[in-house]
Formats: sequence, structure tokens, C-alpha cells
Amino acid sequence: MNDGQKGSLDRLIANLPKDVTPPRNLWAGIVVRLVRAPRRAPPLALAAGIVVAAACLASLFTWAVLQSRSAPRLLQTEVAESSFEEPTDAKYVLARDMMQKTFRERLVLLEPATRAKIESSLAVIRQAHEDIRKALAADPESPVLEQLWESTWHEEFDLYDRVVQATQPPMTRI
Amino acid sequence: MDAGGEPTDTIVAAACGDVAAFERLYRQFSPRIYGLCLRLTGQREAAEDCTQESFVAAWRALARFERRSRFSTWLHQIAVNAVLSRRKGLRNEFEVAAPHLGLPERDDPGSGAPPLDVERAIAALPEGARHVLVLVGIYGYSHAEAAGALGIAEGTCKAQLHRARSLLSATLGLEEA
Repeated sequence: MNDGQKGSLDRLIANLPKDVTPPRNLWAGIVVRLVRAPRRAPPLALAAGIVVAAACLASLFTWAVLQSRSAPRLLQTEVAESSFEEPTDAKYVLARDMMQKTFRERLVLLEPATRAKIESSLAVIRQAHEDIRKALAADPESPVLEQLWESTWHEEFDLYDRVVQATQPPMTRI
Repeated sequence: MDAGGEPTDTIVAAACGDVAAFERLYRQFSPRIYGLCLRLTGQREAAEDCTQESFVAAWRALARFERRSRFSTWLHQIAVNAVLSRRKGLRNEFEVAAPHLGLPERDDPGSGAPPLDVERAIAALPEGARHVLVLVGIYGYSHAEAAGALGIAEGTCKAQLHRARSLLSATLGLEEA
């Protein structure tokens, strides 16, 4: 094949339409599977890809370790069996505040309808967190409530992460 | 839409679980993904399956989409993976199936579509050569990008493209007399 033939062949191929409309509606088959498809939550460490999230986790683990080390031996079993409790140390609070600040900054970049949906989701998560906290006060030994309380805490941070990740400016393109 | 034409808000909403937003993404991107799958598989039914598989996989993974690449690039890679995965699972079926199955029998002059003999000639290429030609020749991947997407060496990618061009030239009568 000479250069001219190669060029005409390449042009022929490159001029083929890139888009081809599917001959039938494929969405119906997709949406049925979406309902059943579990979404994989981002692993927490990666979740951030963001330093702040890692800082939150580091603080949480540090806090947990310090708590268990400082607890009298008699109480260690209780600590081990005890539920998740949101840390209150300054380092954690600072990291959480930074994450919320980034989240708020990114949120205003979104269209009002999307923003409203996200804020509404956040309100639902926070309300659930508060309801579960009250229920735990009445029944502090309930392992189910403890798990639920922890999961709402993760949900809230997961939502921050998703918004922050999804609104990051693209770094590369094809 | 951001400056690069990506529907950022829709992507964010879909990542947060909004199915209606995800449907908008499907409407926008499915012709490109179906076209890619159709050319890669050379079969209509396989392309439909791979397109559906791609969007379901994208839905599952969207919360982890980090925007290091464009959404369309990310979706392309999912589609290529869907085609390669399907190929591994259905090797025997693919080897006996007519490669141009699903393409119309004749040209439709009023459709503005490209000559079917070109499409048929591409569909009839050996699989490795077809994959590279589709990604590099039609969809504008670089050799490095195509090699990465297909999991092959860059040198293999170049050799397959050369092979694809030679076979196509012969089929389409572009060879020197």
C-alpha cells in the first residue's frame, strides 16, 4: 500500500460516524438492572483521594487507640464492645470542618436543582443521625442502633466526598 | 456543561444516586458507546448487550469516578472492558458467528450512512486487528491509549493497525494494480 492509498483509507475510516443510534431502546433493560445493582461505596481511604478524609480517619483511629489505652483494664471490654462514637478532639473537628468547607465551596458551583437535591439528601441523613442518637439515648445497648448511627456518620462523609470528587476539575483529557 | 462539554451537574447528580440524571447521561452518550461496541464486536446483539453492561457498570462505579479523565473517556474504557470481558466468556460463540451479523443487507442511499462495504470489511477483520483499527482509526485513540485500553503492548498495537490497513485495502480494492 502506498502513501496515497494509506491516506485515502485512513480518511475513509476516520469519516465513519462515531455515533450509531441503537436500533432499539436499551434503557428499559438498563434501568431494571440499576434498581438491583448495588453501588459500591468508595473505599474510605481512597474516598477522599482527598487528604482531609484521610485526616478524619487518622484522627478517628488515633482517638480510638488513645481511648482504649487510657481506659482502665476493667473498662476495656466495654470499650471494645462499645459502639462507634464521633470523635470530639480538636484535630478531628478541624479536619471535619475543612471537609465541610470544601463541600460547601463546591456545592455552590452546581446548578440550583442539583444543589437542592444534595442538600435535601444531607438533611435526611442528618435527621436520621439525630433520630438514631435519641433512640440510642433510650436504648444505649442496642447494637443495631449503634451500627445505624455509625452508618449515618459514614453516609454524611460519603456525600461530601462524592460532591468534592465529582466537582474536581479534570486533570487530563483525551 | 463545563468548558469541555461535559455535563458536570448531571454527572454529579447521577453519582449521588439520581436515576433520572443517569438516564440523561445514557441519552447523551449511548450512541457513541453503542457505535464503539458495534464496531468492536461486529455484531448487533453483542453490541446491545455490551452497551447495557457498560451503563450498568458505570452506574455502579460512578460514585468513585474521580474526574482524572473526562467522563466520556472513562465511559469508553468501561465499554472496551465490557467487550473484552464478553469476548472471553463467549469465545466459541464469537468464533463461529458471522462477523457482520446485524448490519443491514444493503445501503440506504438516503440515510447519509457510510458505505456498508466499509463497515462490513471492518467487521470481517480478525478481532485483534479490528479492535485496534476501531479505537485508533475511528475513535481517535493514540497507540498508547489503545494499547492501554486493550491490555496489549504498543508495538503489538501498531502491528495490528498495519495488518488491519492491509487487509482492508485488499478487501476494498485499494491495492496497487
